[in-house]
Amino acid sequence: MRKALLKDSLKEIRNTYKRFISILLMAFLGVGFFAGMRAASPDMISTIDNYFDSQNVYDIQILSTLGLTNEDIEALEQVEGVKKAYGEYSEDVLINYEDTEIVTKVLPIDNINKVALINGRIPQSKNECLIEKAFCDRTGKKIGDSLNIEEANDSIIKEKRITIVGTMNSPLYVSRQRDTSKLGSGMVSYNMYLPKESFDSEVYTVIYIELENSKQMITDSQEYNNYVQEVTTKIEEVKNKRETARYDEVKAIAQEKLEEGEAKFEEEKTIANNKLKEAENEIIEGEKELNSAEITLNNKSKEAEQKFKLAEENIKIAKSKIKEEEEKLEKEEQNAFSQIELLNKQKQDLQVNLQSINTNIEELQKKLDIINESLNNNNLTQEEIASIQVQKENIEKTLTNIKVQKTQLESGVLSINNVLEKIQNGIKEGKEKLEYAKTTLENNKKELNKTKELTNKQIENGKQEINTSKKQLQEGRKTFETNKVEYEEKIKEAEKELLNSKQKIQEIEHPTWYILDRNSNPGYSGFMQDTKSIENLGRVFPIVFFVIATLISLTSMTRMVEEQRVQIGTMKALGYNKAQIASKYLLYSGLACLIGGSIGMIIGFETLPRIIWMMYSMMYVVPNFVASFNVYFAILGLGIASVCIIGASLYTLLKIVGDTPAQLMRPKAPKSGKRILLERIPFIWKNLSFSKKVTVRNIFRYKKRVFMTIVGIAGSTALILTGFGIKDAISDILIKQYENVYNYDMQISLKSDLEETIIENFVKNLEEKEEINKIAEANMTSGTLANGESEEAVQIIIAKDEKINELIHLSDRKTKKEVQLEEGKIVITDKVAELLEVKKGDSIILKDADGKENRLTISDIVENYIYHYVYMPKSLYEQLYGKYDTNVLFAQNNVKDEQEEELASKLLKEPNINTVSLSSNIENVMDDMMKNLNYVVVILIVSAGMLAFVVLYNLANVNISERIRELASLKVLGFYDKEVYDYVTRETAILTTIGIIFGLIGGYFLSIFIVKTCEINVLRFGQEIRIPSYIYSVAITVIFTLIVNIVTYFALKKIDMIESLKSIE
Amino acid sequence: MSYIEFKNVNKEYKIGEITIKALENTNFSIEKGELVVIVGPSGAGKTTTLNILGGMDNVTSGEVIVDEKQVNKLNNKELIKYRREDIGFIFQFYNLVQNLTAVENVELATQICKDSLDPETIIEKVGLKERKKNFPSQLSGGEQQRVAIARAIAKNPKLLLCDEPTGALDYKTGKQILKLLQDTSRKENMTVIIITHNTALAPMADKVIHFKNGRAEKIETNEKPTSIEEIEW
Repeated sequence: MRKALLKDSLKEIRNTYKRFISILLMAFLGVGFFAGMRAASPDMISTIDNYFDSQNVYDIQILSTLGLTNEDIEALEQVEGVKKAYGEYSEDVLINYEDTEIVTKVLPIDNINKVALINGRIPQSKNECLIEKAFCDRTGKKIGDSLNIEEANDSIIKEKRITIVGTMNSPLYVSRQRDTSKLGSGMVSYNMYLPKESFDSEVYTVIYIELENSKQMITDSQEYNNYVQEVTTKIEEVKNKRETARYDEVKAIAQEKLEEGEAKFEEEKTIANNKLKEAENEIIEGEKELNSAEITLNNKSKEAEQKFKLAEENIKIAKSKIKEEEEKLEKEEQNAFSQIELLNKQKQDLQVNLQSINTNIEELQKKLDIINESLNNNNLTQEEIASIQVQKENIEKTLTNIKVQKTQLESGVLSINNVLEKIQNGIKEGKEKLEYAKTTLENNKKELNKTKELTNKQIENGKQEINTSKKQLQEGRKTFETNKVEYEEKIKEAEKELLNSKQKIQEIEHPTWYILDRNSNPGYSGFMQDTKSIENLGRVFPIVFFVIATLISLTSMTRMVEEQRVQIGTMKALGYNKAQIASKYLLYSGLACLIGGSIGMIIGFETLPRIIWMMYSMMYVVPNFVASFNVYFAILGLGIASVCIIGASLYTLLKIVGDTPAQLMRPKAPKSGKRILLERIPFIWKNLSFSKKVTVRNIFRYKKRVFMTIVGIAGSTALILTGFGIKDAISDILIKQYENVYNYDMQISLKSDLEETIIENFVKNLEEKEEINKIAEANMTSGTLANGESEEAVQIIIAKDEKINELIHLSDRKTKKEVQLEEGKIVITDKVAELLEVKKGDSIILKDADGKENRLTISDIVENYIYHYVYMPKSLYEQLYGKYDTNVLFAQNNVKDEQEEELASKLLKEPNINTVSLSSNIENVMDDMMKNLNYVVVILIVSAGMLAFVVLYNLANVNISERIRELASLKVLGFYDKEVYDYVTRETAILTTIGIIFGLIGGYFLSIFIVKTCEINVLRFGQEIRIPSYIYSVAITVIFTLIVNIVTYFALKKIDMIESLKSIE
Repeated sequence: MSYIEFKNVNKEYKIGEITIKALENTNFSIEKGELVVIVGPSGAGKTTTLNILGGMDNVTSGEVIVDEKQVNKLNNKELIKYRREDIGFIFQFYNLVQNLTAVENVELATQICKDSLDPETIIEKVGLKERKKNFPSQLSGGEQQRVAIARAIAKNPKLLLCDEPTGALDYKTGKQILKLLQDTSRKENMTVIIITHNTALAPMADKVIHFKNGRAEKIETNEKPTSIEEIEW
């Protein structure tokens, strides 16, 4: 390019900077939006790819119906492409927290799927764990606190008291979604990681495979998917062998166990039989012993009786002897008495004699005494003394005689006394002897009686003893009999069990390996789905901008080229060639495009992916977002913008540079007026005011501009409406779910394994509570619906009775008519029906948590917005799975929203309640999510607003410059500023109105399209845009129009009337 | 006092550093109903004078009086009102609105004036009855200028200003247009000012003002103006 030409070009930019900027802005918006939106998805993917690489997330996982072994790992590591295979465990447990049980999935810490530590440290001992932060937030537990794991049968986790040592994020669970569980509410609430040693299991739950080259590839890229597919195919080759090996192994183990069981059974049977026999023998012996004891006792008692009889007889004999003796003694006594009488008489005689002797003696004595006295008397003569002496001698002689006599008498008395004494003694002796005999007899008698009593007592005791023994023995026999029956039953049972085990061995199914890639991870696949949605958005939105950018450049450049007709003609006349002339304009638009595009690109790459990420980070836990500069999209974006903008310029130039200089230098005839169709309809045309006629004619005069205005306004209105529409669609979910479908305020899940009567009473209790309005019982479990290859996780709700109809409305999505459950059929929700491509009346496979499959007919498809549900009549449930039991209650309360929390915590204190979830809480959480959506709306509105502004501004500029003569003439004619303004903007107003109408229609479809592409599997977005959104969209567009009009007003005011005098250039 | 007075009018344009004196102490007066021709070479200040008289430009100093109205003291809004009610303007290039038919172009003017004349009658008067529903592009230059005149007259202005009305027309058509202007002045007692560089037209005027270097150098009054048909050039 010549220097002069370049200078001219640059000057042109400075002089017409408004036009330049408007093209620049379009390039900015187009490229910025394109680059930002398109880069968002790859940025998100590379972010998750980085995260997965750093956490060493598996490429392939293998699950088996019979568990996996070290041999499997060895076999897998032999497969080409496999770098390492990791055997891992997982187990769902219940953690006791206050009065609730929290379903928690326990996973091992390992080098595959490495957890990202947030706080604390990695566990070092068996009873230390890492847990999700959300768990701590909910329970208020901190690092260092302990948790109790509820005891369960066959648990492979032995430690029951675990200490939290840190919080983590698991790369396996990037979304908020957790796995389904057979425990509790049917859903895992949180994940927990324990050291691998804490698991005690012979088989692995899952094998994760790390591939050789996968780290170098971007996850979910074609290359990566092909590579994974390739290795999967190779794994398929070992699959069968390993499955069979595992089958044989399991069967062998079971067989061994069975044999062991049988042996043990036999052994135990023998032992038991022996014991039984022993017991029987003991009883028999006991009986024998008892019998002999009885006999001995009888004998003894007989003997004793005889002895007593003898003794009694002896006593009788003794008695009669005593009588005889008594009689004898009496006789003897009588004899003795008579003897004694005689003796006594003799004695009396003797005594009388004695007395007389004694008196004689006394008299003699006295005489002697007198003699002696007389002798002593000195007065007596000797003769007298001799006489007296002789007298004395006589007397003394007589006295001696008498004394002899007396002695004789006395000895007589003595002998009589002796005899008497002898006799009396004899009697006494006899009496005494008799007395003694009598006493002895009496004693003997007494003794005999005592002995008799004692013996009788002893016999009685013995008898009693024998009786108790007998009773005991009888009881013993009874117990023995029952034991025997029991034992026999047990044996029968054991035999049955053995038979069962045998059958089970027969029934052991051939194991199946499930070889799954990352897409089977719900968080990951959800994330990938979302990146696809974003990608789709990125494909649609920028188109609007590019189309409008093209139109804007087209009109701007056309105008510019036309304005410079004469100059172009002059240059041509001066000898510049086509390319040289065109280069000025191409440089002009090219520069605008490049500068605007580059700025847009940089801003787009930096901001849009980040904003989108910010929104998605509410749903996903993937750290370290990477906003990259994507060369491909940069070049593509700039390329498209260049094609649009420079292409548009080229198009206008081609039309003009072909003309001869003479043609160019002659003024171009102004666009001629034409009658329009409307004029041929007089009754409309005549009723239009003059100014309206002018407006209408003008609209039909500048078709290109009209088209551009309408497209521009329609585009921006559509974008704004789409922004609001997306918000409506998502916020609708809640409103519709909680107004159209759910009428309950609380979902109460009960503790597991409560008895029926307890539940019944409990529900009755709740019903009577003032705060509770309505309540309904149901059973809620998780399951899977499958149709062909596609599967979706669902919640199965089985209502106990009709009460549920007031709390959950089942209604046809289209007709809104209420739907009743039909016997033997199920009702499913609309989104899952759509995903699985089934209709009313089709049959579908329902898998329960245990993997049991049933093919069922769909009686109806009902309206639903959040998650997927299957409603099943109770009768069908009982037919399929046996007894129904309530595990969840749906309730409507009477309290105000603010008091609901209080009610919930009050209810939680009930021992039977596990959790209470308030609908209002879920609504709040969702509301927060909705707030993030406002970002989207803001982005869309701002960019749409900019678009509208650029379009309108540009339009106004073109409009003015194109008609400057006309407008100046009007001013000369004496039009007030306001009239000139009206003259111009009436057109704009009409075009804007038309544009808005098209925009609303377009926006409606665009937002439906976008909502469809963004829709998450488990949600059904609303498809209605609410009236206020239409109003806002219109209002925003109108505001932008007004702003532009104000600018126009001042531009019009500045128009110099002298322009009208100039000749037409 | 005359109907129109131009007293010591100066007009300067500043273009960057340079000041251009377009009018320098210009003085003239025009009576009501006069047909005035202003002649002079390019750049002599004819158009500036017309612009000032038409209320499209203001003076740097001096006084401009039209029908006792001090035009130089009017504010913007009053100026518009002045243009609207008192002035009819005829351009060299007609400046018709391309999108309106002949009669509609006239209407465009009449609808904003209080004492406007009936467009249909005016169109008939300028001899375009048959072509009134044609668009400007369907009319010849002369016909277009007739429409322009009709548009100007229809407003019933006090002053008809014509800037080279025949500049873009051939001789014959030009003559017809001038005839129309002369007739209008005569019949309607309308004050008409025509700018032209063609001095040959001078005899048709009641008054001829010669401009040179921003001054009204010579003002001639024709007692007996020649009918345009008799003038040849």
